[in-house]
Amino acid sequence: MTGQAEIVSSTVVLDPVFPWLSFVVLAPFAAAVLIALLPERFTHYLALVGATLSLGGSAVIAGSYSPSVGGLQLAETVELVPSLGIRWALAVDGWGVVLLLLTGVIIYAGVWASWTLEKRVKEFFVLLLVLVAGVFGVFVAQDLFVFFLLYEIAVLPMYLLIGIWGSSNKVAEAGPFAIVFRLLDVGGKEYAAMKLTLMLIAGSALILAAMLGMYWEAGQSFDLAVLARTEFSSTLQWWAFPALWIGFGTLAGLWPFHTWSPDGHAAAPTAVSMLHAGVLMKLGAFGVIRIGMMLLPEGAAWWAFWVGTVAVINVLYGALGAMAQKDLKYIIAYSSVSHMGIVLVGAATMTVNGWNGAIFQMVAHGVMTGLFFALVGLVYERAHDRYIPGMGGFVRPMPFVAAAFTLAAMSSLGLPGTAGFVAEWLVFLGAFESAHPWWTFPALAGAFITAVYVLLGVRTIFYGEGPPERFHDLEDADGSERIALWMLGGCIVLLGVAPGMVMVFIDPTTVAYLRMAVP
Amino acid sequence: MWASLSPLAADLVLVIGALSLLIVDLVLPHGEKKVLGYGTAGVFIAGLLATFLLDLSGEALGGAYVGDGMALLVKRIVYAGGFIAVLGSLDYGERHWPLRQGEYYQLMLYSVLGMGLLGGVEDLILLAVAFELMGVPLYVMAAFARKDKLAVEGALKLYLTGAVSSAATLYGFSLIFGAAQSTRLQDIAVAASSAPSPILWLGASAALAGMGFKLGVVPFHMWVPDTYRGTSPPFVAFLAVGPKVAGIAAVARLFLHGETALLDGVAPFALLLVWSTIIVGNWMAVPQTSARRLLAYSGVGHMGLVLLGVVAGTHTALAAVMFYGAGYLVTTAGAFLVVSALTDEQGSDELDRFAGLAQKSPFLAFAMLVFLLSLGGIPFVVGFWAKLYLFLGAWGAGFAWSVVLGAMASVVGLFYYLRVARTMYMDEPDAQGISVDMGTQFAIVLCLVFVVGMGVVPQPFVAIAEEAASALLRP
Repeated sequence: MTGQAEIVSSTVVLDPVFPWLSFVVLAPFAAAVLIALLPERFTHYLALVGATLSLGGSAVIAGSYSPSVGGLQLAETVELVPSLGIRWALAVDGWGVVLLLLTGVIIYAGVWASWTLEKRVKEFFVLLLVLVAGVFGVFVAQDLFVFFLLYEIAVLPMYLLIGIWGSSNKVAEAGPFAIVFRLLDVGGKEYAAMKLTLMLIAGSALILAAMLGMYWEAGQSFDLAVLARTEFSSTLQWWAFPALWIGFGTLAGLWPFHTWSPDGHAAAPTAVSMLHAGVLMKLGAFGVIRIGMMLLPEGAAWWAFWVGTVAVINVLYGALGAMAQKDLKYIIAYSSVSHMGIVLVGAATMTVNGWNGAIFQMVAHGVMTGLFFALVGLVYERAHDRYIPGMGGFVRPMPFVAAAFTLAAMSSLGLPGTAGFVAEWLVFLGAFESAHPWWTFPALAGAFITAVYVLLGVRTIFYGEGPPERFHDLEDADGSERIALWMLGGCIVLLGVAPGMVMVFIDPTTVAYLRMAVP
Repeated sequence: MWASLSPLAADLVLVIGALSLLIVDLVLPHGEKKVLGYGTAGVFIAGLLATFLLDLSGEALGGAYVGDGMALLVKRIVYAGGFIAVLGSLDYGERHWPLRQGEYYQLMLYSVLGMGLLGGVEDLILLAVAFELMGVPLYVMAAFARKDKLAVEGALKLYLTGAVSSAATLYGFSLIFGAAQSTRLQDIAVAASSAPSPILWLGASAALAGMGFKLGVVPFHMWVPDTYRGTSPPFVAFLAVGPKVAGIAAVARLFLHGETALLDGVAPFALLLVWSTIIVGNWMAVPQTSARRLLAYSGVGHMGLVLLGVVAGTHTALAAVMFYGAGYLVTTAGAFLVVSALTDEQGSDELDRFAGLAQKSPFLAFAMLVFLLSLGGIPFVVGFWAKLYLFLGAWGAGFAWSVVLGAMASVVGLFYYLRVARTMYMDEPDAQGISVDMGTQFAIVLCLVFVVGMGVVPQPFVAIAEEAASALLRP
């Protein structure tokens, strides 16, 4: 266990002059409160200010984090409930830096993408910003209770966000489950919202059980550092790891608990899909690694085979599912399930390359899927249709959108020079080095299928004949929307060409953490 | 003699206040009886101030009452509950029973007096008396809307089950006394370990069942939905909270007492009640279409969790129970006040009446949303901390499976709470805005402040709850 002692002792606590982490977490929250209190004409600007402050704060954190020192930095602690050992403890590691930046970029782009929203604007931005505050918090929380609290905050606003501003899309009632479909109103936004919320909260119940088990065995502490030092009993490791894996995994789109994701993402409004697929699903994968694998190394080793194997199923199932879809949003949603499978494969490899790839894929997929959903939202808003076979030739009225969509597609299929390539390459490398090298092959097959459905989709929508007569009034992206597209597209290329920029942060943290997870 | 009454100073404030209002009622002309409501609110505030300003520690009534941390906390909770209920009744009472307002508030004061005593009982006889003092006024208050068939039915159900439960409780008490040879709770707890006998366990089971009726624990919960649905809405905001908190405190005092406890022999029975209550309460709430029936069943489910904390029987768990009780009071009272405002205006509490409330009356909808989220255990409101605290305590006491059951039931709970939220926020409104009288509005804001305040800054409340738990169990 020397590795564990080392990471804890090498944890450098730089006394921050200003509590930047709390600032980043609370800025969106404060903006949400102000939006709720002030008249509606300020709403957009306040939302933008909140998002900008968070993005700026994340940039400052990235600037002041010293990768060469590594470990946890910028620590802040405020006692919340001392007698129960609950503290508002925040600190950032290399992964946290990168994921904070990702969240900042996505929310910033998300606010721009929802600039033209007209329906109940105030409530929308309040919920959106509260959700983002939770996401920021999870990535830097160093207290398991606070981690859980913020996780729940990030999950719940989705219900109203989808239910009110979402869109329904009736699924054809066919096959043996037609009656069930009709009874449950499958495809309806309210069905999607309820399904998503209940599945994720059921996952939370599993996380809660594991959390309480660890709390009592570690001598009543929620401190992640203390929990990491504790050698949990084999019994606890054996049951608590799968509880965390499935609990957090549900949010990460883990097969077969992914079914909320296509319905939820298809029904959600643009900015919410961007955020949810872009960052929220990452919370799940982050939880599996940061809480599950690092605090319960024995349990993780025990279950590693299943984690990897199910993740491989995820990659293939998601890709095949995407191929079968005719609805634009469902394709992207299933592709998210597939790509999150890549993250989980990387996590399961328990190798430096695999974990680096997993974290990098979180960022790459976050930016890529954020761009995808922003574009899908644009297309849907103008075409009022998501049925792909009816589209065609959209490149003529909307060249900018077509270009951005093609770029996202290239990253999705892992073209060199885009962010997706770096991530998938690292994960495949890690999988090949791992105890189960065969994982590489189905994962590669998944990447191949991705190329098929993504290219088919791009061709049908944007190229070829058309556009058909009923799409005569299509327009290209306008000013505020282009800001979002430029940002996200730029990130994809930047990460693909110069992955070292973020790898500087990811790699040292991975090396240190892996020593804890693989004793 | 007066020195021995000092722990009861706050209770005396209530007694004196009630008697003074009785006289004022006689001289007040018709049409000005609303003043009595303000007077009652004032009495509750005076009682609350007394709990903060006076030293209420020590023994009273020859040791039958102890002014410890739990007694103090229960007093504060139920006085606050009384205050909130009065605010919610001011306007309603003036409109529905203008001449009988005095009686209504009298009964309320006596009931709260009984609740306040329950927090510190140390003797079976005082326990029985205080329980009845709390319960009997409720029967009368429930039947106040005497021309409303549903109200009379609800009141009758409350009365009949209440009478049966009192009989069961007293029967149990007499058996306990017979086996333990003492009415002192401390002696009974000692007897439970030194001289356990089937008679004692039978008595304890009967007492638990009888008190379970009042708490609405399954299978003794049948009256809850009908009574909540039938009786006047502001009264439910009173019935649903104070008596539960005081009742659970009384159960804790009777069954948990230091190292040895009466609980030991009845733990399997109690755990059975806990499980059935959690399961039935949450499942039966799902198909409800009336807001009050839904909240009634969800309240039953919550009682299951609270009872789990008592059954767990550790210091942390008991502290969690007290914290839960305080949180439950402000949350449920608030929720019922919103329902009350809505029912009063629209003449029905069917869930479809909530349609589009967010656009008709953003304040009411937001308040209701916060209360629902708190009931569902969502972060940054008190319900989250209460639930987690309770799970934490129960898990530490070795009740892991019950915690898993409770957590799963919370998922079911979220389903029906969100259904209400959906109706309020997603459905289109059908009528004009809702006007809420000042008293109710103020009470709702008060509940809101505490629901959010206890969620954001839980520490001071946790500390108080821990102190209360220390009265019975060592940390």
